[in-house]
Amino acid sequence: MKIVIAGAGEVGSHLAKLLSREEQDIILIDDNRERLADIDANYNLMTLRGNPISFKSLKEAGVDRCDLFIAVTPDETSNVVACAMAKSLGAKKTVARIDNYEFQDMTNRGFFTDLGVNALIYPEYLAAQEIITALRRSWVRHWFELHGGQLIIVGVKIRDTARIIGMQLKEFAMTEHNFHVAAIKRKHETIIPRGDDRILLNDILYFATTRSHVDDLLDICGKTHHRIRKVLIMGGSRIAIRLAALAEGEFKFKIIENNKAKCRALPEKCPNCDIVQGDARDIEVLRDESITDYDAFVALTDSSETNILTCLTAKELGIKKTIAEVEDLQFISEAEGLNIGTIINKKLLASSKIFQILLDSDVTTTKCLAMADAEVAEIEVKPKSKITRGRVRDLSLPHGMTIAGLVRNGVGMLVSGNTVIEPGDNVVVFCLSGALHKIERLFY
Amino acid sequence: MLTFSNTRRINYPMLLRVLGWLLMIEGSFMSIPLLTCIIYGESDVWAFAAAFAVTIICGALMTFCIRPASPSMAKREGFLLTASVWVVFSFFGMIPFMLCDTPIGVTDAFYETMSGFTTTGSTVYPTVETLSHGINLWRCLTQWLGGMGIILFTLAVLPMLNYSGGMQMFNAEVTGITHEKLRPRISQTAKGLWSIYFILTIILFGLLWLGPMNLFDSICHALSTMSTGGFSTRDNSIGFWDSNYVKIVVTLFMFLGGVNFSLIYKGAHGDLKAIWRNDTFVAYIKIIVLSFVAFVIAIATAGKAYSWEDITIDPLFQIVTTMSSTGLTANNFETWGPFVLALVFILMFFGACAGSTSGGAKIDRLLYLLKNTNNELYRSVHPNAIRSVRINGSIMSPETVDKVIAFLCIYVMVIAFGGILLTAIGIPIVDAFFSSFSCVSNIGLGAGVTGVGGMGYDVIPDLGKWVLSFLMLIGRLELFTVLILFTPAFWSK
Repeated sequence: MKIVIAGAGEVGSHLAKLLSREEQDIILIDDNRERLADIDANYNLMTLRGNPISFKSLKEAGVDRCDLFIAVTPDETSNVVACAMAKSLGAKKTVARIDNYEFQDMTNRGFFTDLGVNALIYPEYLAAQEIITALRRSWVRHWFELHGGQLIIVGVKIRDTARIIGMQLKEFAMTEHNFHVAAIKRKHETIIPRGDDRILLNDILYFATTRSHVDDLLDICGKTHHRIRKVLIMGGSRIAIRLAALAEGEFKFKIIENNKAKCRALPEKCPNCDIVQGDARDIEVLRDESITDYDAFVALTDSSETNILTCLTAKELGIKKTIAEVEDLQFISEAEGLNIGTIINKKLLASSKIFQILLDSDVTTTKCLAMADAEVAEIEVKPKSKITRGRVRDLSLPHGMTIAGLVRNGVGMLVSGNTVIEPGDNVVVFCLSGALHKIERLFY
Repeated sequence: MLTFSNTRRINYPMLLRVLGWLLMIEGSFMSIPLLTCIIYGESDVWAFAAAFAVTIICGALMTFCIRPASPSMAKREGFLLTASVWVVFSFFGMIPFMLCDTPIGVTDAFYETMSGFTTTGSTVYPTVETLSHGINLWRCLTQWLGGMGIILFTLAVLPMLNYSGGMQMFNAEVTGITHEKLRPRISQTAKGLWSIYFILTIILFGLLWLGPMNLFDSICHALSTMSTGGFSTRDNSIGFWDSNYVKIVVTLFMFLGGVNFSLIYKGAHGDLKAIWRNDTFVAYIKIIVLSFVAFVIAIATAGKAYSWEDITIDPLFQIVTTMSSTGLTANNFETWGPFVLALVFILMFFGACAGSTSGGAKIDRLLYLLKNTNNELYRSVHPNAIRSVRINGSIMSPETVDKVIAFLCIYVMVIAFGGILLTAIGIPIVDAFFSSFSCVSNIGLGAGVTGVGGMGYDVIPDLGKWVLSFLMLIGRLELFTVLILFTPAFWSK
């Protein structure tokens, strides 16, 4: 599949790197030579220096023959214009990143379709949705739904209240049939566990399960579900406004914003929220706003450092759930190791959303979710493939992979050693980064 | 979310495994001279059978017995693999030379193979006409494989290197300042370049066969001309046929061998404008025309113009064979006087276009140097002027210009250092510098004792041959890939 990406910012380059490992033909356009130089020298893709809204550069990039055109420059107008130009040149499908909620409104969709923009990505909206998911299930670190929710992957941090600490995975599998531990994140490393690996304190365990059994995990991991009602938000950013608009009924929000002018504008956009002007880095301010009464703290300022540190402070003050927006990719791994509940990154959310759009349009590719240093792939099993030749335990599958579950005839189920995989099943595989191409062979 | 594991140690198991794959490729190439020996009923068949077996078995053992913990190949693995594969290929490639009916020692065999793979084309054989067909074909095949690049060939045929590790190796092997990609994926680029190379070789073979050459000589010369290598099956090289047709055809294809192959690829895909917009290509032609005029004047004033060929096809042949670093000879240029020799020197230094199969410092770098020097001169009169180096319509960053200047300085230093080492071994000073120069530039012409009138490279002592082999490797991989291995920073954890 030929994909042209306009804009080598963080979203664009992240996406390009992700896709270049997937046997796709990637061409990355940007008018900044330095930004392209490093990607060009180190990744299996082609770069082109040029303005994304110039017919000349678009033609040079071969947009007329591309299957997907993705515009992710920082400027939303350029993105829309670039998509319209690419479409008129012959691109099959176009995706633009936007910054304006109104654009995404369904009633305005027709306008963009007429312009030639097939899909819109609004990172702030995605971030707000992610925050809502995290608030609804406060005990979960990560939550992925696969195949329309038939299989669910849940990441849970193991604290000293969990009764499974020290248990070997084979013992765990004997007592609990409705869960499959597909991956363990321990410190900075992701492990694809085997039967004799033990569950340790502070591990993040990724369970594969079905919807009806998710709540049993609360008991297993010694978690209690806190129903979250009152949420304190730090920073009146666009995500905060989007969050307030989406979930005003479900949660009670209070926004602390330092900038006076912004505070004046906020009540108009979020009529049902309390707005406080002040610096949330100041513990006195937090105490004045009686932070201990709140169920959750969400830090959404422009500064990742501030967000991380303030969340840690909030945790110390006794808040059960904290969520931090971390925009610097370098900090994410470190921040995940700290005692912050959920980390939000607009760029990663946007790139994985585009990734999904892309994969939906091409059924032959495996669907893949990239997390930390492991990959989760959803693969359709072809007839006569190696994987169907017997029970899973007899197949001597390679190290570094595990089959978490499968969807057969639209119904999700877990896979154990005795399962026989049939052609036509959609199998969910966990594997370490870079090993996916080896594993795909088993399924074709 | 995507993070990369920072393994700081070099992944040796994976390196060896890839080397194993590459050896199996070399082994399969050995089957071609093996078949040739069978067809001609030559006894060298056993030499090739042994070499074939050893190479394939070693390759298979390395590939199937080594199980690397992780398949990751980063920058350092890329450099190390690219440099070592050329050495390892030479060690296995020399086996037939040592076991054949006209055996030579380890030093000579290694020199001959390295000279082949790096397309230098200087030979240790005082006479090549007594060699078997198999040996002659193997010499030309090594040049053909090395001309476009061993790694590039692997990228084109094996999907396993088609990951970011392959990118590193592509950058480490392909010549030039910046590496242009033709297609988004590296394997497609490699396939594109190799198919152009393959097709041109076939056309050349056809044209030569139509002329006075026999089938076998046409194949060998097609392989060694297209790769701008310069091995011949005759002691008098192209001069043996004394045919203007052969000279013209060979000149044309040596010229093409000196053109950037991505440019030929674009031209073949209908983008003819790109060819004339390319500054390097235009400069290449201009240099040929200018030196042709200079050659003709020099030959005429020296009173050596005896026939019309002496002022038309002969100088042109000499210019192109020098610039493209082929080193095939049709006439003894040393008799044309010292001025011509000096011109040959300059032409050898810069060679032809980057991204071609030719050697030398490349015209691209000459252009950078000239444009940058021009800017510096302008700035001494207008100190506040901002001027940039513009090549092929785009402006080059000062870092790139710095890198080019550094390259040229190191290049001269390597040649000088090689020359000094050779004088220490006892080679006359002019010959020492000329052969050092000739090997770094991968041209393989000789002058003085090593020249057409002398004894060839056979006269150089063993130690000198190892030095020259090493210089050829440095020259082929354009300095940095090899020299970086000698820096402590490369190995430090």
